[in-house]
Amino acid sequence: MTEPLLEISQFKLHFHTDKGVVKAVDGVDITVGEGEVVGLVGESGCGKSVTSLSVMGLVPQPPGKVAGGSIRLAGKDLTRLGRKEWRKVRGNEVSMIFQEPMTSLNPVFTIGNQMVEAIRQHRKLDKKEARRLAAETLREVGISREGILDEYPHQLSGGMRQRVMIAMAMVCRPKLLIADEPTTALDVTIQAQILDLMRRLNEETGTAILMITHDLGVVAEMCERVVVMYAGQVVEQADIQTLFRDPRHPYTQGLLKSIPKLDKRTDRLYSIPGNVPNPRSMPQGCRFAPRCEFAMDICREKEPGLFTLGENRVSRCWLEEEKKEDADRGTTTVHS
Amino acid sequence: MAQPQSILDVRNLKKYFPIRGGVFGRKVGEVKAVDNVSFSVNKGETLGIVGESGCGKSTTGRTILRLEEPTSGEVQFEGKNLVRLKGEEMRRMRRELQMVFQDPFASLNPRKTAGEIIEEPLQVHGIGSAKERKEQVKELLRVVGLDAFHAGRYPHQFSGGQRQRIGIARALAVKPKLIVADEPVSALDVSIQSQVLNLLEDLQEKFDLTYLFIAHDLSVVRHISDRVGVMYLGRMVELADRDGLYENPLHPYTQALLSAVPVPDPETKRERIILSGDVPSPSNPPKGCAFHTRCPHVMDVCREVRPEFKEHGDGHFAACHLLEK
Repeated sequence: MTEPLLEISQFKLHFHTDKGVVKAVDGVDITVGEGEVVGLVGESGCGKSVTSLSVMGLVPQPPGKVAGGSIRLAGKDLTRLGRKEWRKVRGNEVSMIFQEPMTSLNPVFTIGNQMVEAIRQHRKLDKKEARRLAAETLREVGISREGILDEYPHQLSGGMRQRVMIAMAMVCRPKLLIADEPTTALDVTIQAQILDLMRRLNEETGTAILMITHDLGVVAEMCERVVVMYAGQVVEQADIQTLFRDPRHPYTQGLLKSIPKLDKRTDRLYSIPGNVPNPRSMPQGCRFAPRCEFAMDICREKEPGLFTLGENRVSRCWLEEEKKEDADRGTTTVHS
Repeated sequence: MAQPQSILDVRNLKKYFPIRGGVFGRKVGEVKAVDNVSFSVNKGETLGIVGESGCGKSTTGRTILRLEEPTSGEVQFEGKNLVRLKGEEMRRMRRELQMVFQDPFASLNPRKTAGEIIEEPLQVHGIGSAKERKEQVKELLRVVGLDAFHAGRYPHQFSGGQRQRIGIARALAVKPKLIVADEPVSALDVSIQSQVLNLLEDLQEKFDLTYLFIAHDLSVVRHISDRVGVMYLGRMVELADRDGLYENPLHPYTQALLSAVPVPDPETKRERIILSGDVPSPSNPPKGCAFHTRCPHVMDVCREVRPEFKEHGDGHFAACHLLEK
């Protein structure tokens, strides 16, 4: 196994609001190896975006507060960095692309302007050299048209803007790229172009990608390993084939069953009953228990830990405790 | 089996939006949002319309209900041409045709309670006494899977899925025959999306509804539709029954669209057609076939002549020069 590039362990991030504490991220463990593409899946409000913003140091504190755990990038604990140190890490070692490329680009500056500014933050280059580097990076992401550097964001289409964002993120050759729903705002045919581009960059530059998405189709096509989150916690983790073939956590199972398939049609879709719990009042015991069809007494009383089910494979479910009695498997309760 | 009876016939529908410019706001061009679209919807079926953003699928839905005035063309609903109806006649007609909108956050008035929102169409159409209406609202809430006590709550107190249920209850209130659903599940999470899709199917069976289901998600459309139409740049490029379209797509655009959808199964490896470039601007659509700028099989004739939208066997319509040979 490769040395993990990113190691999030037992990370907790809470928001202190007037109405109480929101435990947006509550004890999350995620690792990303060098050059690896890892998917982070979950529904709105599960904490996947807050987790990724924490890796970039972009969660405003207050109201956010790191309540425990650590985020290590290439051995450095990011939770302890000061403002100045963050500037060296952000964009240089880890960078991020967002869902809506229009809101992440500044509308009053040209593309060239914005890229040169970003480059010169990190590299000692004069304006001319930085401009040349910007044009070169744009060519790498498939924009070769003359004069692109002098255009404004509104002159570009959604797909082009996302390409520009990727170029900006990749210009300093970061070790890790965090992609937060990078194709959600795009049309299918454009999505295919962008996914293809990201896959190519990963292969050519060796940049690891943490892909945050709610689309299991995108995960299946892009990632080697998947982490599933629910209500601020990791509920299952596995390599891609295993997760789709044999999902263990009832939430993952429900999620996979509830998506309509393109190649075969079922008469009725499965649906997980109920709604995601309110983060201010999490249910006692397992957070998924009120919606789970296999819920047992213990699920409503005691919170399950992560059960290890083999290399790189975990599930947060009491059912594993039952299964353990049959097979001799080592279990570790990381969090209770 | 009885011959399918069409409930809605759309003939050569056009909707052009003017582009105004200059000091006097003169018309300097037009956006051909819907450009000569024809199709019909059979009673009790679900016709899905798919396409990428800007292809005119939403405008088609809105123009049918005359939320936008069509530039030309006919919309026959049960034998009546909706385009010709005058204000009051059209208003009464809307009892038969209702709409469910995409954004459950923007389409509900935040200052009204769920009960008031659902009751409003009943009031507008003068149905029942105040007391009967209250009863009906409770019944509607139950039908869409909410509780009677939810009537007193405001939209912000509901989750996205629940809000969409309120939007559906509002559409159902006047007992319509046809519902135009414009991206009704695209703002929802996967687990909630399947709940709403199932609800729509149940309601269709229970109330004998006909749906025009507009969406960009091809898997969702396959799940819910009996027949599917594909739009590109204001034009219908292919229309067929569900399996015919998904298993045997004739138009190169449909083929590319289907191959571009990421499949949630890491073990299937598919041939992928990645289209280069973007959708051209509808204010200046390409001459000839609108798709020729991105088509992998483009021929000379495609750049000059607009292909005719016609039947290629068994209710499978497509507009492509390749099929002429």
